[in-house]
Amino acid sequence: MPGSALLSLQQELRRGFEALKAAKDTFDGGHAECQELVSSLGNLAPQLKALKQVQISETPLSGFPCLQQRLHYKLSLAVDALLAKLAEKMAALQKVWDAFAQQVFTVVQLYEKNTDALDISVCVSRSAVCPSVSDMLEWLQDADRYYRLQLMQSRLLLQTLTPTDLTSMETAPNRWRSVRSARQEERIADALCQVSIFLETE
Amino acid sequence: MKALQVLPVDAVDVDTQRCRMGPALMSSLGLRLGSPVLIRVLQGTCLCTAWPRRDLADGYLQISSQCVSPDLHKHTLTALTVHPAQIKPLTCLKLTCVKLKVFVQRLEHKKRVSERSLQELLDGIYVHEGHLVDLSGVKAEIRCVLVEKVNSGSQRAGLITARTCVDISTIQTVKHLDRQQQQVSAAPLGGMEDVFASLKEMITFPLRYPGSLRQLGLSCPRGLLLIGPPGVGKTLLVRCVAKDIGATLVTVNGPEVTGSRPGESEENLRRVFEQARDAADDGPCVLLIDEIDSLCPRRTGSSSAPENRLVAQLLTLMDAIGSHEGFVIIGATNQPDSLDPALRRPGRFDREVIIGVPSLLQRRSILKCVCREMPLSPDVDLNTLAEMTCGYVGADLSALSREAALQAMRHSQMGASEPVSMQHFMQALRHVQPSCLRSSIGATDFKPIGWEQIGGLEDVKLKLKQSIEWPMRFPEAFVRLGVSRPRGVLLYGPPGCAKTTLVKAAASSSHCSFFSLSGAELFSPYVGDSEKTLAQLFAQARACAPSIVFLDEVDSMVGSREDGSSSSHSVQSQVLSVLLTELDGVGVRTLERRSTCRKIALLEGGDQEDVRLHQMELQEVCNKDVLIVAATNRPEALDSALLRPGRLDQIIYVPPPDLQARLAVLRICTKSVPLHQDVCLEDLAAQTELFSGADLENLCKEAALLALREDGLAVSCVRQKYFLKALQMLSPSLSAEQLQQNIHAALQ
Repeated sequence: MPGSALLSLQQELRRGFEALKAAKDTFDGGHAECQELVSSLGNLAPQLKALKQVQISETPLSGFPCLQQRLHYKLSLAVDALLAKLAEKMAALQKVWDAFAQQVFTVVQLYEKNTDALDISVCVSRSAVCPSVSDMLEWLQDADRYYRLQLMQSRLLLQTLTPTDLTSMETAPNRWRSVRSARQEERIADALCQVSIFLETE
Repeated sequence: MKALQVLPVDAVDVDTQRCRMGPALMSSLGLRLGSPVLIRVLQGTCLCTAWPRRDLADGYLQISSQCVSPDLHKHTLTALTVHPAQIKPLTCLKLTCVKLKVFVQRLEHKKRVSERSLQELLDGIYVHEGHLVDLSGVKAEIRCVLVEKVNSGSQRAGLITARTCVDISTIQTVKHLDRQQQQVSAAPLGGMEDVFASLKEMITFPLRYPGSLRQLGLSCPRGLLLIGPPGVGKTLLVRCVAKDIGATLVTVNGPEVTGSRPGESEENLRRVFEQARDAADDGPCVLLIDEIDSLCPRRTGSSSAPENRLVAQLLTLMDAIGSHEGFVIIGATNQPDSLDPALRRPGRFDREVIIGVPSLLQRRSILKCVCREMPLSPDVDLNTLAEMTCGYVGADLSALSREAALQAMRHSQMGASEPVSMQHFMQALRHVQPSCLRSSIGATDFKPIGWEQIGGLEDVKLKLKQSIEWPMRFPEAFVRLGVSRPRGVLLYGPPGCAKTTLVKAAASSSHCSFFSLSGAELFSPYVGDSEKTLAQLFAQARACAPSIVFLDEVDSMVGSREDGSSSSHSVQSQVLSVLLTELDGVGVRTLERRSTCRKIALLEGGDQEDVRLHQMELQEVCNKDVLIVAATNRPEALDSALLRPGRLDQIIYVPPPDLQARLAVLRICTKSVPLHQDVCLEDLAAQTELFSGADLENLCKEAALLALREDGLAVSCVRQKYFLKALQMLSPSLSAEQLQQNIHAALQ
């Protein structure tokens, strides 16, 4: 019984870390793509500011009819398009995180179901090719929480981006970069390195 | 089991609610990976999830401070020792709902707080009712939350999941939380329960029943004026009320606001009000203006324009806070008559609360509070101390206990803590004088004299006890028999017959305040100063009631209005009028009122304690008056209005000592004088006819001096011949005519 419970938990842990690897790749790529979109959004903000301040009637372009309104409409369309793309990418990332969180939940639930057979000495034993169950559970839970909070902060940041608040839009690229935590990213990469041999063994 | 050493939390475990311990300890406690545990440490508790240490070492503990009781907030959990018995495994359910109070970094972040973001922040965290959850690591606007209720109060702790319904009760700033935690260490009050209750009611009514007050059309009371002598605890009272209702206390002193530049004082006052208004947005706020009489004197023609402008500024600022609920202004002063009348009308300082000098039971309560943490020896009787400290205010009682503790420290060995005994309190009583008697007129510091130190005069002593001591110490007996207490006592007789000493003995045994005044202190070259001095003396005596006012040589103070029309406008006649008014005046002025006589419910002590408390309560209710004792050598010079019943009720003749009395006086005077065997005090008493007590004392002194002169400085005793020789040199200070005159007066 202890052996079979440990083996099934390890099998589930392997699936959890596979999901973490896929989620990490998706989150890294998604964050980079969103960074480009937010940068474009940040570039549009000073253009809108300049358009608001300029007096086209006093420039050589005063001959063109309704030029300020048409330029503002064009820039607003660009802002709306960028915000729509950002919303799509956030939805995709949310879906990836939901799948990963479900996997972590399954692992924790399996452990809680078999706690009678898995006492502390079994959970803390580690070897050269296999980290301990305790360490692996910690890493999965930490990654789960980190990505959930990153999603929440990203969503809150995007909620502040409205066409009426140009200063918030202008500073968005810098704030977007601070959503990611280098320390946490390094920990997740380190955890994946430590379980790489464990994942290869079947 | 061995105790665990607490180590700092690893950097990777910050904001994870993890506590790390050895695997063996986890097995012995029956814990699993991630099991919730409640760790009791430093008079608080931490709710953590248990995980094994990475190095698998036993004997160490690392505690997360993410979910702690408010006492441990901002504490560093390191360099401690925790016993395994202090770690308690919990069984936590997944919560269906939780009620939280949210603390944000700044007030403008309030609108950005939503239930959804809060739920996501708390997902996966175990929470405990009454605990603070630290969320500052997430770099969001929410710094921490206070868990108010968990699962409708049926459980105490639980796990927040994605399906938990999060309810926000209030949103406040972190500054508000810090302010609340700083005020926890306030000391409890003694003897001011009724004022405390009325003050708390005045502040909390607008907060709790705003709808009812609006329906009734009532405007909330906005201001309160605390009136009382210095040291009675006005500021401490306001601090305790603010702490009890969770209000922010903004304190401003009058001298702090006053500035030298024109307009600076008004600017400082506006800034203080702005600060209080900002605090009122965060929660209830109390603005305490201490020494408000120095800030806002009466606006008369003689005061200067800057002071008038400052008063006008305060009036404008107080009128402008009508729309702010939860904002109360409290002014504290000990000279209310110096205030501008515009401040004291309803709408500004609505109520005036008078805190007088503490009475007997109030002093007992205050002594219990200030001696609460002192190691007292069993012989310390706080009831007796309360009786002996008549006229002491709260600050005086604190100084008394402090001085007694210092006496105990001086008598103890180095470093050893000796309990404070009654002897230390008795010694401290000599150093700490009541502050309302300092710098006051008629304050007398005399050595306590017992009745036995006065020879003879047994009838006079008994009459004085009946007139002075019995009403003070056994007032319930007087009330029971329907006997009214005397208002005044007149002692008259030849000079040197111990009239002043008798009054001192009576004051010592009565345990009440003692004021003494003589003609030299009373009269002043300025017109009206003598009357003012006498009125002020009586006002202070009433403030420290029960008290005795001793008027020595009263014939030189007040004259007789029957001397003729030529002296009807003299100072003595006017002083006589003031004295007659004080003796028989109508009512008591409002500012001199003591505390309300509401019954203090004391739930302590056994039968003996109850009897004592009952007796003290009777003394407090009955002892409210000032007893006047006058002494004179010429009773015929006094006005007849003074001598009627109701004023100087008891007229006691103090005769010169007779044979037995002279013998007793001689025994007392020679108690410390070594006498030869041939000295016969009986013979000396027989030969000293017409000698007064002072004369007898002088006789003994003269005999000792003669012995020193004739037998040398190494003389060891005084012989009879020196007494006889001194007797030849001295003559009695009384004459037969004086004695006849006094006897004639006594027969009237």
